[in-house]
Amino acid sequence: MQSRRANAVLAALLGAAVLVLVLGAAVGSTGLHALWGPQADPVAWQIVRDIRLPRAAGAWLAGALLGLAGAVAQGLFRNPLADPYLLGSASGAGLGVALALTLFGASAQSTQWVVRLGLTGAAFLGAVAAVLLTLTLARGVQQTLRLLLAGVIVGVVLGALKDLISIASADILQALQGFMLGTTGLLGWSACALMAGVLAACLLAGWLLAPVLDGLALGEDTAASLGLPLPALRAALVGVLALATGAAVAQTGLIAFVGLAAPHLVRSLVKTPHARLLLLSSLMGGLLLAAADLLARWLIAPQELPVGVLTAVLGGGYLLWLMHRRAVRSVQ
Amino acid sequence: MNDTAACMLRARGLHARLGGAPVLHGIDLALPAGRWTSIVGPNGAGKSTLLRCLAGLLRCTGEVELAGRPLAGWTPRERARRLAWLGQGGAADPAADELTVHDVAMLGRLPHQRWLAAPSAADRAVVEAALRRTQAWDWRERPLGQLSGGERQRVLLARALAVQADVLLMDEPLANLDPPHQSDWLATARELADGGCTVVSVLHELHAALAADELVVMAGGRVMHHGATGDAATHRALEAVFDGRVAVHRVEGQWIALPR
Amino acid sequence: MRRLLLWTLALCAGGGALAAPLEAVDDRGTTVRLAAPPQRIVSILPSLTETVCELGACARLVGVDRYSNWPAPVRALPLVGGGIDPNVEAIVALKPDLVLAAPSSRVASRLESLGITVAVLEPKNQAGMQRVIGQVARLLDVPPAEADALWRRIDAGVNAAAESVPATARGARVYFEVNNGPYAAGESSFMGETMARLGARNIIPAALGPFPKISPEFVVRADPQVIMVGQRSGQGLEQRPGWAAIRAVREGCVCRFDAEQSDILVRPGPRMAEAARLMADCLARRPAAAAGAAR
Repeated sequence: MQSRRANAVLAALLGAAVLVLVLGAAVGSTGLHALWGPQADPVAWQIVRDIRLPRAAGAWLAGALLGLAGAVAQGLFRNPLADPYLLGSASGAGLGVALALTLFGASAQSTQWVVRLGLTGAAFLGAVAAVLLTLTLARGVQQTLRLLLAGVIVGVVLGALKDLISIASADILQALQGFMLGTTGLLGWSACALMAGVLAACLLAGWLLAPVLDGLALGEDTAASLGLPLPALRAALVGVLALATGAAVAQTGLIAFVGLAAPHLVRSLVKTPHARLLLLSSLMGGLLLAAADLLARWLIAPQELPVGVLTAVLGGGYLLWLMHRRAVRSVQ
Repeated sequence: MNDTAACMLRARGLHARLGGAPVLHGIDLALPAGRWTSIVGPNGAGKSTLLRCLAGLLRCTGEVELAGRPLAGWTPRERARRLAWLGQGGAADPAADELTVHDVAMLGRLPHQRWLAAPSAADRAVVEAALRRTQAWDWRERPLGQLSGGERQRVLLARALAVQADVLLMDEPLANLDPPHQSDWLATARELADGGCTVVSVLHELHAALAADELVVMAGGRVMHHGATGDAATHRALEAVFDGRVAVHRVEGQWIALPR
Repeated sequence: MRRLLLWTLALCAGGGALAAPLEAVDDRGTTVRLAAPPQRIVSILPSLTETVCELGACARLVGVDRYSNWPAPVRALPLVGGGIDPNVEAIVALKPDLVLAAPSSRVASRLESLGITVAVLEPKNQAGMQRVIGQVARLLDVPPAEADALWRRIDAGVNAAAESVPATARGARVYFEVNNGPYAAGESSFMGETMARLGARNIIPAALGPFPKISPEFVVRADPQVIMVGQRSGQGLEQRPGWAAIRAVREGCVCRFDAEQSDILVRPGPRMAEAARLMADCLARRPAAAAGAAR
């Protein structure tokens, strides 16, 4: 029964994704347009093709990466409050961008490097480096609590370093804020291609590693007794987490709540083991961020709302309603 | 104890440390195949630690042999097929709340399934049998989070049974179970042992422990006595390890221990 | 009884007039009173630092915030933290008789409770600049004629910059990007006002506010002929999806300002004329295809 339900949810999420993409191509800086009209006007069509479609698709892809990472994090740490940034990747990305901005004016050579790497490259490297630092601090992946603690420490320390760098120059602070707030506004086709590649790889890896997450749900001892080679597979899961989060953060900055909320939203609809949960969580995350991006562009066009605010409102609002419904039901 | 050939699980010179403090001080144990052994002792005697060492879940100095081969010589999958483990406190763990009862029991078939293969008809049959045995079949579609503590424990037991292993190690399997289900479990353990399975259980319910074939009495990280449950020597050892605060009596064909 | 009250009032008024020769109303609406012209001034807002120096009282500054960097002598002064995170102890240790701060520094009430006189001022646009020059002049006991002269100099400088813009460049559509949110400078912002005086047309209408977070698509639709952006924030601007079609990008009219120039452009301060000159230079470069300011 649950399996049939899972398929229904899968179909629904795929259908919603198509709908949001179509709407995303139709909503522009002056509100909603008809999509079929612009075909006559080459400029408008070019805008749809070059700006709106990649932006909508990119938002969906980034959300999918975050949703997948969130489900992996919650399974790996056996904690429903885990989110993809738990291993310090958010602070690492911010620090990477801050360092890149500082090096930009420092010398001709460093400027060249920074331009070649780009802020996205710097953010990705920073995120991955932070996770490696966490792993080193925790001396491996075996102890969940130590890993969590190390992740929190690394996050706080790197965040403080980033703050130190940013107050040194008001110029850097301005440029950094644009990144930290999280935006889907500058996603192009190359960014989409990159994220799609990472998403495909991470989904495949996640699907292969799903039995580990299921086993871990019963406890680490039980998982080990079931013959799962835990150390290697947990390291692989951390790798998937770091890669997916790093790719998303590099392209869109820090968008909170998608990774945390997407797995919960899926679980509220259907109970399923991790093989299906990872895919559904990914689709749900994509839907959440794409919808938030759509609304961010539409509500006060041509101005935009910060997309992180909308993800919190959409995802958080639904979760609050769920909690309320559960509380009402338990009282009856 | 003779008969090395029929010895399923053997420990030699086992030492273990938890958090730096020594917990096991040189355990030598030979558990014969096809028998049900209970490990008893006061709190802090090291019972759970011993069980975890035997299951290969804790790194200990000394040797542990499963079916004549050292534990390290088994690949994790082979070992998982021969040895099933049921840990303490699983019913209280909220991490599995979202999985359905059937999914949880099916996890027990992991050692037999090819990686990522869908459950076969044989797997489903085994899971159904295991769930029926613990009277959990009727709620197979319900998520674990909606069950009471006792019901969850029965599902976890079914998971352990689904492994169909030759050796079943269980730590406090009767937690949260009410008396009818406790006796159901005792009957199951009896059936398994009679069928050739080696059952080892850590129990603090002495009446359940005394229903086993053999008793390992532990105190302070050492084995004080290992013998048949019916022997008077075993009873004296049991009473001694609890400082004479319990007395073993025979009531209605069963051994029970009453607090003094 | 009433006569007693009237006498007391008259005495207070008279006494007040004698005791506070210098006073001005700051941005909080509070009247700031000084018994004598301040000799030890601490300023924690860069535009106020520049204003004090332009009014000729640079020698009276004893401490500034870490972002004040003009004119050169100011850089040798002790630093007392930033605008939003000032070091109260450092400020007090300098024994100032006047502290100039922005409304965003919550330190004003703290310093006043320690007995220090604080004037909270922040120029946000051109009209505000003129007002703040007057207020600071009053507090520093600089003759109003000098303050007026300063303002006239600044104004004339802006006009001169406006005149240096060639006729072909007048009326050009301009997009000023503040950071890569992207946040743009609207008509009601300081940069927008400067642009307006130079005769340029801001693609961001006034209705959107001073610093709206703008949709990148809007910029593409508006097709500006000139883009002005900071060097750091402007990385990869030409590679943004769809932006290669913008006229400014096609013709290479993207002016990138380094950190120093960005300071001048963004701060509503007495260097307004220089800001106007920087913008005018950018607009004048339009016909030539040279890409942006020097790195």
